[in-house]
Parts: sequence; structure tokens; C-alpha cells
Amino acid sequence: MRELARALVGVVTASAEAGALDLLLVPGRALACRVADDELLLLSAPPVTDEVAREVATRLAALDPDALVIDTTDGWAAISMVGDDARASFGLLSRLELPDAGLLQGEVAHVPAKVVAGDGRVLILVPSIWEAHLHDRAAKALGHTGPLEARPWAVSTS
Amino acid sequence: MSLMVPCPRCGPRPQEEFTFGGELRALPAEDIDDFARVYLRRNAPGPQPERWFHAFGCRRWVSLTRDTVTNRIDPDVIPSGG
Amino acid sequence: MGDALRFEGRRVAVEPGDTVASALYRAGVRTFTRSLKYHRRRGLFCMTGDCPNCSLNVDGDPGVRACSTDARDGQVVLRESGWPSAEHDLLHVADRLHRFLPVGFYSKTFIRPRFAWGLAERVIRRATGVGRLPAGRPAGAKPARAVHVDLLVVGGGVAGLAAAAEAAAAGSRVMLVDERRLGATVWDTRAIARIEALAREATAAGARILERHTAVGVYEGPFVPVVGPDEVLHIEAARVIAATGAVEAHAVFPGNDLPGVFLSRGAALLGVRHGVRPGRRAVVVATTDEGRASAEALRTTGAEVLIHDGPVIAAEGSGRVRAVIIETPSGRERITCDTLVLSLGWAPRDALLRMGTDQEVAGAGEVVIPGCSVEEAEASGRRAANGRTETSSEVPTVPVAGDGYVCLCEDVSLHDLEQAWDEGWRSSEILKRYTTATMGPCQGAVCGRLLAAFAGARADAVATAGARTTARPPARPLPLEDLAAGVDESIEQRTSLHDRHLDLGARMERSGSWSRPTTFGDIEQEIGAVRHRAGLLDVGTLGKFLVAGRDAAELMDRVFPVRVRDLAPGRSRYLVALDEAGYVIDDGLLAALDSGRFYLCSTSGGAPAMEAWLRDWIDRWNLHVHLLDQTAQLGAILLAGPSARTILERLTDDEVSAEALAHTRHAEITVADVPCRALRVGFVGEVGFELHHERSRGPALYDALLEAGRPEAAQPFGLGGLDTLRLEKGHLYLGQDTLPDDHPAKLGLDWAVAMEKPGFVGKAALERMRALPLERTLVGLRIEGEPRRGVPLLAGGRVVGRVTSCALSEAAGGTIALGWIRATDGSFPNELFAGESSATVVPTPFYDPEGARLRA
Repeated sequence: MRELARALVGVVTASAEAGALDLLLVPGRALACRVADDELLLLSAPPVTDEVAREVATRLAALDPDALVIDTTDGWAAISMVGDDARASFGLLSRLELPDAGLLQGEVAHVPAKVVAGDGRVLILVPSIWEAHLHDRAAKALGHTGPLEARPWAVSTS
Repeated sequence: MSLMVPCPRCGPRPQEEFTFGGELRALPAEDIDDFARVYLRRNAPGPQPERWFHAFGCRRWVSLTRDTVTNRIDPDVIPSGG
Repeated sequence: MGDALRFEGRRVAVEPGDTVASALYRAGVRTFTRSLKYHRRRGLFCMTGDCPNCSLNVDGDPGVRACSTDARDGQVVLRESGWPSAEHDLLHVADRLHRFLPVGFYSKTFIRPRFAWGLAERVIRRATGVGRLPAGRPAGAKPARAVHVDLLVVGGGVAGLAAAAEAAAAGSRVMLVDERRLGATVWDTRAIARIEALAREATAAGARILERHTAVGVYEGPFVPVVGPDEVLHIEAARVIAATGAVEAHAVFPGNDLPGVFLSRGAALLGVRHGVRPGRRAVVVATTDEGRASAEALRTTGAEVLIHDGPVIAAEGSGRVRAVIIETPSGRERITCDTLVLSLGWAPRDALLRMGTDQEVAGAGEVVIPGCSVEEAEASGRRAANGRTETSSEVPTVPVAGDGYVCLCEDVSLHDLEQAWDEGWRSSEILKRYTTATMGPCQGAVCGRLLAAFAGARADAVATAGARTTARPPARPLPLEDLAAGVDESIEQRTSLHDRHLDLGARMERSGSWSRPTTFGDIEQEIGAVRHRAGLLDVGTLGKFLVAGRDAAELMDRVFPVRVRDLAPGRSRYLVALDEAGYVIDDGLLAALDSGRFYLCSTSGGAPAMEAWLRDWIDRWNLHVHLLDQTAQLGAILLAGPSARTILERLTDDEVSAEALAHTRHAEITVADVPCRALRVGFVGEVGFELHHERSRGPALYDALLEAGRPEAAQPFGLGGLDTLRLEKGHLYLGQDTLPDDHPAKLGLDWAVAMEKPGFVGKAALERMRALPLERTLVGLRIEGEPRRGVPLLAGGRVVGRVTSCALSEAAGGTIALGWIRATDGSFPNELFAGESSATVVPTPFYDPEGARLRA
């Protein structure tokens, strides 16, 4: 385990018709997570989240005038695991099988979570009411002592 | 140690990730006896149309058919309105 | 001085490769346990961990199979059964009292006197000698790790390793687990060599081999929990191969449980592998080639070995074998000896195989071809890896020569089974439950087949009587702490003010899934602050939903029984949520925002269910609605009290006067630079502003409010104060004051239901129920006495209800309560008793019934 950290991630929720979300061109500085037919979570680095929200709102309005785009950053808490054994350590937190890359939704540390895997790192988001719980369980599972350091997250450019 | 429920968006998931919505019930309608619709269930052995809510995942509902005798879910048999 | 363990005060030498059993046997120990009921001496028998005879206390752990546990320097080993000791057991007298202790006697005796049960239980528990838990040692907490594989092989013998090697070479992700070290139960050097070679082949092909990992059972999936020394693995496999081998068949004859009777593999393991001679003079009764081969091997230990075909009629001896009686072609022969070795066939160790379906678990090796050769086992393993399932061979029944012990764990003899059958218990399943045969630590490994064969062979048995009893996990005994691995302790939900509450000295409590403050010091003082000055309450736990999209109003109108179409932006309305049966499932507030959007607040515990409920209707009715659960995203602080407005005005430039922001109105304002949605609410009965804000801004807002409230001594309060404050207003707590079949009329909430609406969920049910007389209702009560929640309400000496909430209220001048009462003879009683105190039904609210204070 090279690093377990508190990930600072901006989250924008877009709710619109499935067809509109299919056609939406996602800004390059955002990672799109299609959590349902009619719902898209866009992850971005906190400094650019406002801009991502505005861009997406504009583009989506053209495809679905009834669409709703809201900054929901405060609704989520995230941790990131980086390192060779990040994937193996995931098995201590969840019985789900982690994909090589992409989105996984399901139960992690006994709470509903969105997991983004890829580029040698694993990002786990849970509703912010479970922030302390997630930190505690992840630290315990990975043998991490002390508080988690904050790390700004960004879409990887590789 | 669970029944695997096929969520069309998230894939097959352990049943603990879901809230069970029971037998698929008809929507209220003029020509349906509302008392029977609300309170009575078929509860028959064999394929049963059901509603499941993927609470730990996409948080959307799925209708599927589960055989109450074999406990097998056929992901390809999607029940209609009920 | 070499390695040694301590055994009941003695020093016992430990040789390399020793198990605790072999070390003790070498040191002369012959009685390892006393049997459960009759306290008969029991010694080493199977040496493979299948029988209960060698269960000892090792380093404080009870029920440890000595034959399967490596001996170590410094171990402390004790025998657990027998009183005062295993060697000199006074309770052995039970063996002579068979007549008074027939099968199932405990179901027929010890019923009276009832007061003696506690004592009887303690005495009986000690008498069984099943061991005591280590006192004061905290339960361990092994982590649980999920592992995903294509193939899980249970059993690291020749067949299992061959299967693992074959599948891994074909590219599957393979894991193999064995409860011992590989080859630990094999004495034949040829087989050991093959095991080592196959292990190398499997590892080279990429299979993971885990020794000392025990499979617990096969669950739906297939899912197999595996317990290791440091970890519990939760293995999700696409396929499982059970290559768990076979136990030798146990024969039934008088004296078959005496120390000195061995299964031939057990004797060979002891003698050949550990170099400990089982006895000086051994009679080997073998109907198998393997048995005869092991007899030859035993000769190398220096024992005198006599080989016979059998059958065995009886073993004689008091406390150990002294002679055996064998049936020979020329008649019965009595042979003096100190050891009897049996090789009469095999009982596949098929518990895991029988737990899963054919699609989930396949067998390989001896578990499906008992007694097969090394070559046959390997071929079977490779076939299984390639997907060719093997059906189990028929296992011939072992002849029964007379009354002997069938179930060693539970001391059930053949005579006991016959007696039970005569009493009318006539199938293997019911015999199991009545006699407890197969319910001991071996779980039928030794006796399961015997029990089934017994039932099936009876002349008056029905077809299913002789079926094998259902195999259930755990396949091997395991401590509860291993079952608990990975199970979480309580999961706590927190608002962003959690740390602030702790800083302010709050005593926190669990309220549903949330951690919330009960009080910050003095509940009465906090109540007084809210009534006379101002109080601050963290209500960030409330369910909060943004409902938008072109069908938002349509959804709200159809789902809820409240009027929605006439709710103008800036206004809110109390809302009760009904299910299709008309029962109240939640309550809350519906606020109309601009642009056809709504802000819906539910109870703190009701948010997840509310979201699921609404999404179901959105889906079924195919409505265009955006539903966003903002319960986590937004915090909320309630500022309530006569001075609330004064304090708020210090922190905002927006209009919050009684005219600008009247009761049941809401507005977007900025408070202490934090954008808030301020809702005028009246749950505690004073002027109240619920400030909903982005979660991260919560601490700053809280600090600003506390600071601004200093002149009025504004006071944070918690659930302790809230309970009394809301009760004084007659407001109900869902789940506490309500029952699952409460429809609005029973709760006095008919005013919240707009029956004139053309339709809403539950309307038809409400119409049906309105046609019926109201048989139960929630009422307010004044009680002459101390408040006691949950006490029954009595009228005319009969129980007619229950107190659901109560408190001593200063504002109301006495004990007030809410409770439900049943109608008797068509009407509701007014004068009641709450427990022993008199009580009167009174109208609610108890405090400020006109609502003047909260509308200010």
C-alpha cells in the first residue's frame, strides 16, 4: 500500500433523459460516471468544478431543456488508494470484483459506494454522512495509522 | 452466500445490496379490484414477477422474474406491468 | 533438552513433525477424552480430525483436535473431560446407569422443579466435559478478505492438486485450500511424493495454494468462506471442486469405541509417519488391499501384527482393548491383543459436496471414488478440472455385529437407535434430532452413513427414511469470532457538526443510524432556553430531496395525500406519506421552490425509503422527474425560541420579519455569509428557522449562530430536550407513537389529508377504512404520576392501550403523554390508568394550543 489518502473531488450531478446523456460531450477535465440511465456523475478537480458544472449545464440544455445539473460536491466523501496492492486491498473492504478500469457501484465497507478504478489507483466515493466511517474502515483494513492526508484529485492525463 | 440479482446497469449483485419490493403489483386502475390489488398476493410456486431496488448501487428499480421454487432468476425474462 | 510441551503438569517431548496427539501417545497417554454422556474412555482413532476422541484444550483453546494440531515447544495441553480428571473420572458411573439414562432422557426428565434448571444446566454442562472458553481473553478479530477465482479446490491431496494444476495450466484463476499442511494425513511415501510433485506443477501453473486454511461450507454463489490462521477469506468462485477424500468406515460392535481401536489409516499415520508404535500386539481386520498394505507397514514399527478378514464380533476390555473376538471360517476366535486396527471400507468426506448443487460443486478423488489408487485419484482430479463431473460410487454398508457406538461424539449406541425407533422416531432425520446422533463435532463424518443405513435397513422404513441427513455449514467446528470476521460493528452516520457537538461537551446517542447529541449538559435547562430564549438543534439528519423536472408537481400530487397544485413558491406544507394500504409510512414537509421544483423533507430515518418509494412511482408511471437525494449534501440547523428572530437578524441582511418570512414560508437568505434555505417550522412550538445549507459550511454557520446568540444565552440542545418540546405540542414521532397499521384518522391527522383530490396513493384504501368505525386512536394524556413510557393503559380493569411517549413537563405543569387506545363498546374511554397512575385523555397541544408562539 503506497498511499491511502482523503481525495478532494468535485462532483457534479446531471439528471436528464438517457438519450441526452448518451450524446453529451463530457468536458476533458471531468471523468464521467454513468450511474444510471438518467443520471451522470462528473468528477473533477475542485478548482475547476464550477466551470465543469456550467459547461455541462449549457451542453445538456441543448439536448434536454428539462435537464438538471447541480454541484453535489458536499454530498460525497472520497478516499484514494494508490499502489501495487491497492487492488488486492480492495478485497478487505468489499466483496465486489474490481474491474481493471471503470466504474463499479455497490457495497464497500458496508455502505453504498461508487468506485473508479484505473491508472493504478482506486477512488472510492460514499455519501458524506459516512465520511468518518469510510476513513476508519479503510485505515483499519489497510493498517494505516493516524489521520488521512488530503490529496486533490484530478482526471489523469495519461 | 447470497442470491445473485442481475441489475441491468450494475451487473449481477448479491441480494443484500437490494431492497426487495415483493410481487409485482398492478397499478391502480378502474377495472381492477383495488382491495385484491393492494392486499392479496398470488404467492404461487414457480416464476414470480418481482420488483427489486438496487439500494447499494444505482438506486433504481428493476423488474425481474424469480422462480420461487428453485430461487433462480432468469435475467432475460422481464415481466410487464403486472 | 529438546522441544517439549506441558501436559497436565508433565513435560512431554516433542519430535520434529509431531502432532499433539503423536507426542502424547509416545509419552504413554492412552485416554484422551471421556465421552459425552457415559464418560467412557476414548483414545486415538482416526488421526485425521474426523472423530471427537482427541479433543483437548491447547493453549487455552477448547475442543482442539490433537491429531490435527502441530506440537510446539511450550504448548500447554490439558484434557477437558472427566471429573475430577480424565484418568479418574467419578462420573464414569453414568456408564453403568444406562437404564436410567436412555436415549433422549433429557427430554423426559429434569422438567421439575423449574427452579432447579439453572443449577441443573451448570452441572450438566460441566459434566459433559466439552471444554471451557478461555476467560478474560478478548475475542480476536481476523480481517475478512474477498477473493474472486474461477476455481476453488478444497483438499490438497493428489486429486485436488491435480485438478488445480490442470485448471491453472488452462488459464483459470485457481485457489486450493487444505485444512492441514499438504500431505499431512498421508502415510504412503509414494503418495507423498506425488503430492509434492503436483504441488510444484500447480504452483508453476499459477495456482495459489493455501495450507492450514479450512473451508467452512458451500453457500449460494458458490461462496465459500475459508478460515486461515490470520485471515478469513470470502471466496467467490465460479466453480468449486471438493477433493476432500474419505474417512474409513467405522464398524459397529460391542467395544468399538475402546482406546486401542484404530482405523487403519490412523494406525499407519501414528506408526509410520510419526514413528510411534500403536501397541505391542495389533489385530488388523482388513477387507481392503490398502488395509493389508498398512498392516505390513505397521510391522516396521516393531508391533506384532496379526491380519484377519473378519468380521469383528466384539472388542473386549475395560477402558482399553485387551482382546478381540473375530468370526473366522472355523468359528469364533478370541485373540488377546492391545490394538485393533480396522480397514473395512470408506465413508467419503462429502459434506461440502452435498452442500452445493451439481452446478456449483464437483467431486474429485476419494470423495467420489473411495479407496481409489494414487493414479485414479490424479486422473479424477484432472477430469474434474476439465468439467467432467463424477458421480459418487456406491459405498457398501458396513456389517453391524452387535450393540456398539454409532455416534462417538454424542454417545449414541445402536441400542439407543433401536429404542428410539421403537418409540416411533422413524427416519434418519428425526432420529438425528431425537438422539442427537451426527450432531457433534464430527457432524456425521464418522457416523452419518451408519445412521442412514440403520434407518434404511429397518423392515418398516418408508422410502425416504434412509436418506443421508442434510449437510449444513460449518463443515468443521470454528470459533464464533471467525464467523464474525468482516461483519461490521455499528455504522454511524454523522452530520458535519459532529465534532462541534463533541467540543461543546455533548453526550451523543444513536438515533437510528445517526449519531446525535442527547444533551449538552442539562436537559431541563435546554428546554427552558428554547421556551424562554433560543436554542440551536442540529437537524442535518433530516431527509432532503430536490424534486424537479416537468412532471415534478404531477409526481408530488399523485403520491402524497396533500394539496400540491395550490402550493405557491415560497410556501410549505406539512406532509404525511401513505402506502397503498393507506398506512402512514413517513411524515415531513413539502416546500414549493421556483420553476416548478420542490424541496421535500422527510424524517431522519425515512430518507432511504422515501427515495426508493418515489423512484418506484417515477418508474411505474414513467414520469419525467429529477429526484436528487440531498440528505448528505445539505446540513440543517434549527434556531428556535422567542429570541430566534432577533439573533438571526444580527447575521443576515435579508428580510426575516414576521411579515416577510411568516410561519410555513421559506426563503433563500444568506446567514453569516452562508447561503441558506430558511424554512419557518414549528416542531418545537416556538418561532423556528430551519437553516438548510451546504454541508461544508455547517460548522461556520453553527459557530456564528452561537456567537450571535450570546446576549440571549442561546443554548445548543439535543434529542433529550427535543423529545419533551415536541411532546408539549402533541407532535408524534413516527415509529414511536405510530403503529404499522395506523392510517391518518387513527393519528388525528385527517386534517392533513385532502380527500377531495381526484386521486393519490392510498386514497381508495382510506375510503374503505372511513366506512368502518375507528377502532383505535392516538390521544394526549395527563398522568398523575411519574412518566413511564410503554406502560399499558387500562380502563375497567382491561388493557386498552399503551403509553408511547411521555415526559414531565414544566410548561404543561405535570406529566404529559401520547398513547394509543382501543375503542371498547364503540367508544373511547376518557378516564384511564397508566400502569398504576390515573390518567385522563386531554386535547393536544398541551402547550400553546392556539399556536400563537410559533406563528409570531
